[in-house]
Amino acid sequence: MSADACGNPAVETEATMDRRLKYDRSKACIKCKINAGRIVVRHAVYCKDCFPTLLSTKVKRSLEPHINPRTELSRRKSLKASGNLLIGFSGGLGSTVLLDLISKIYLSNRNELRPQDPTDGKARGGKDHPRNEPVWQKASMTDRGDEIKSLMQDKYQNLELIALRLEDAFDRKWWDQVGGRASTDVAIDVTNEDLYSRSISTSDMSDPIQKLRSYLSALPTHTAIDNAIRTLTRLLLLHTARRTQSSHLLLGTSLTSLSIRLISSISEGGGFAIREEAQEEWHPGNSSSSLPIRLIRPMQEITMKECSLWAWWNDLYVIGKEKRPGGKQGIAALTKDFIVGLERDYPSTVSTIARTCAKLAPKAEAVGSCILCERPLQPGVQEWKSRISIRATAPSSPSSAPVLRSLAPLLCYSCHTSLTSRSSKSISTKSENSPTPLPFWASAHLNALNTVNAKDEGGDVWITRRVGHNEMKGAIGEFLLE
Amino acid sequence: MAPKICALCQNAKAILKRPKTGQQICKDCFFYVFETEVHNTINEAKLFSRGDRVAIGASGGKDSTVLAYVLKTLNERYDYGLNLFLLSIDEGITGYRDDSLETVKRNQQQYSMPLKILSYDELYGWTMDRIVSQIGKKNNCTFCGVFRRQALDRGAALLNVDHIVTGHNADDIAETVLMNIMRGDIARLGRCTSIVTQGEDTIKRSKPFKYAYEKEIVMYAYFKKLDYFSTECIYSPDAYRGHARTFLKDLEAARPSAIIDIIHSGEAFEIREEIRANQKAQQTCTRCGYMSSNDLCKACTLLEGLERGMAASGITDRARKKLDAEGPAPDNIRTIPFFQPPSGHPLVAVETTA
Repeated sequence: MSADACGNPAVETEATMDRRLKYDRSKACIKCKINAGRIVVRHAVYCKDCFPTLLSTKVKRSLEPHINPRTELSRRKSLKASGNLLIGFSGGLGSTVLLDLISKIYLSNRNELRPQDPTDGKARGGKDHPRNEPVWQKASMTDRGDEIKSLMQDKYQNLELIALRLEDAFDRKWWDQVGGRASTDVAIDVTNEDLYSRSISTSDMSDPIQKLRSYLSALPTHTAIDNAIRTLTRLLLLHTARRTQSSHLLLGTSLTSLSIRLISSISEGGGFAIREEAQEEWHPGNSSSSLPIRLIRPMQEITMKECSLWAWWNDLYVIGKEKRPGGKQGIAALTKDFIVGLERDYPSTVSTIARTCAKLAPKAEAVGSCILCERPLQPGVQEWKSRISIRATAPSSPSSAPVLRSLAPLLCYSCHTSLTSRSSKSISTKSENSPTPLPFWASAHLNALNTVNAKDEGGDVWITRRVGHNEMKGAIGEFLLE
Repeated sequence: MAPKICALCQNAKAILKRPKTGQQICKDCFFYVFETEVHNTINEAKLFSRGDRVAIGASGGKDSTVLAYVLKTLNERYDYGLNLFLLSIDEGITGYRDDSLETVKRNQQQYSMPLKILSYDELYGWTMDRIVSQIGKKNNCTFCGVFRRQALDRGAALLNVDHIVTGHNADDIAETVLMNIMRGDIARLGRCTSIVTQGEDTIKRSKPFKYAYEKEIVMYAYFKKLDYFSTECIYSPDAYRGHARTFLKDLEAARPSAIIDIIHSGEAFEIREEIRANQKAQQTCTRCGYMSSNDLCKACTLLEGLERGMAASGITDRARKKLDAEGPAPDNIRTIPFFQPPSGHPLVAVETTA
């Protein structure tokens, strides 16, 4: 393609659409019509006094209908949740602003919503602007747990802090604490598309950190690692919500982050559970008889830009999330770059994405839940995959070790793809026969399924496995002429 | 270093890395999986019935050239019993279609398929060159896209075919899913992953290459030594689509299954019932009889704007209101002939090889 043809916007100015003005009405605040605007939110300007009301209205609109019974929809400053509220706090911008807003709207004096002058006479702009701080202070990842602890002690003493670590998902102690079903450790073989599983003894691998590392290093792409970390975090929080008898789990996902998540989820094959990206009801232990825990994102109407300004005006200390080395090459990071770049020229894009996805529903009834992410399981995934991309002309067979069952039919499309889809830059270091441990909830589901199978078969424990071609040949060998 | 063995047959030497799966396979296995996957797609969707008259939308580009070859191969191998035709649209862009149409004419001879070429000039009285000279380079994709869609249907009606197949590939579909989400086009999002689209009065349309990667189509053409023309339209300024395409290529580089994963997502969801209930019902254009969401179909609206010297009336609401304020359309403007669905007999003679 030549550079001077085909709509190259850099060359053909006539070919591009006229860019709209950043604000197309006036410079005065759209709400009070008196003060000069200080922030442009999708072509409308707001002053510093009206901005807090805008944010609190958006938070309440996204939160209260999911918590208060219908009759309680008045403007009363209270939440009538049936259980406790658990707020997921990573130290990132969204969750910092969420914690601040929830605390100011519902837990303290309403006047605190107005931004105070946080400067104490110190210069905050120009060369002192935080953007001028050195970015790469350290190249390795840092544990931010202590910083989070001291922030909570300083600012939010009335809230109880529960510290969770990713490796908890592989820690029997944590699993017992959250009241998980007793189960044996299960590991899978990620070198085979069928993902055959088998029990491993505790002595093989007992250190949760070692198990977490083994799990992450078995994943074939950076996209899969990001996806695994997100799933582990989500389920650690949900199980903790059950333990703390919480009825609601709140996350600080902004509108921008939600749109990024929606597009990357679709790009990772998660279309069937697209509704759950915005809001979900989680039934502990996949049992519909227990009361569900609602996962709500009260910031889902507030853009990242609004969050940043709120944090800046209120001098909120954003601890920041650690960026995973190599994460830039994953679908989540690529989507973030794309959406944030697009938002600059097309400011309505993020809200359009969220509104469009809110109009979608799964096409078929779920046939249970994925044992790894515990989101709805779509029927016929494996059959679809084998039809549209032929990967074998003969059936695969498991390794010689005794196996429990193939994990593939128990996983949603997205989780199965995460574990099996490779790229030319595959990063997995696993070889066949080196087992990859599973998080405890997945092991528990597998154990439960095997117990059900055993009961169905009259009390004996049966091991299901695929029979390899050589084994078949061995059984009938004497009848074969060649 | 010992040569790699094909991951599928475990016998021959692997000579390529399959873009869709990353497997290293031999040439014969590549042909086998590529063709079998298309056959699976056709079978699963029950696209054809024995005796169907099927027109292949042929542009002379890689997708339609490979589609014509693969359909002819599968028709013979699996005895589909289809009568295949080639249908080309000449948009009237100087230097753009000339070489591609030569490819189509060659395909007509190689595959012994009848060919019909229908031009915008013949159907609408306007070539794209003339349209662009009136409206400039902005928004001309709208005219070309709307006119081409209707031209294909009308060409198919003239050939009296039951079915049009187009060369849309997996990359095109994944890109469209993303575009429709980002533009908020719920109606198109709901149908863009369907393999078959058919209105009440329109001709069935399908995309047998729905799951075929663009790179694999090129690979197939390369190994089969099929020649085609790669011509970029000199009038295509769709910058937004360009962004989406670049993004998709980045996703594919990060994880090649991303293309098929997006299509799977698109197939897994649908528009919620209550939203669907509020969408406009399909009707027929009062002027030309083609399917339409309004009294006038999009092609008639665009053509009226061109004829009355107000081309933007088909693009923006403001320009449409201005056109309406000037009164009804005069009787002497050029209009599109009334749409006649297939009648059972071809209305035109088609070019066939001896």
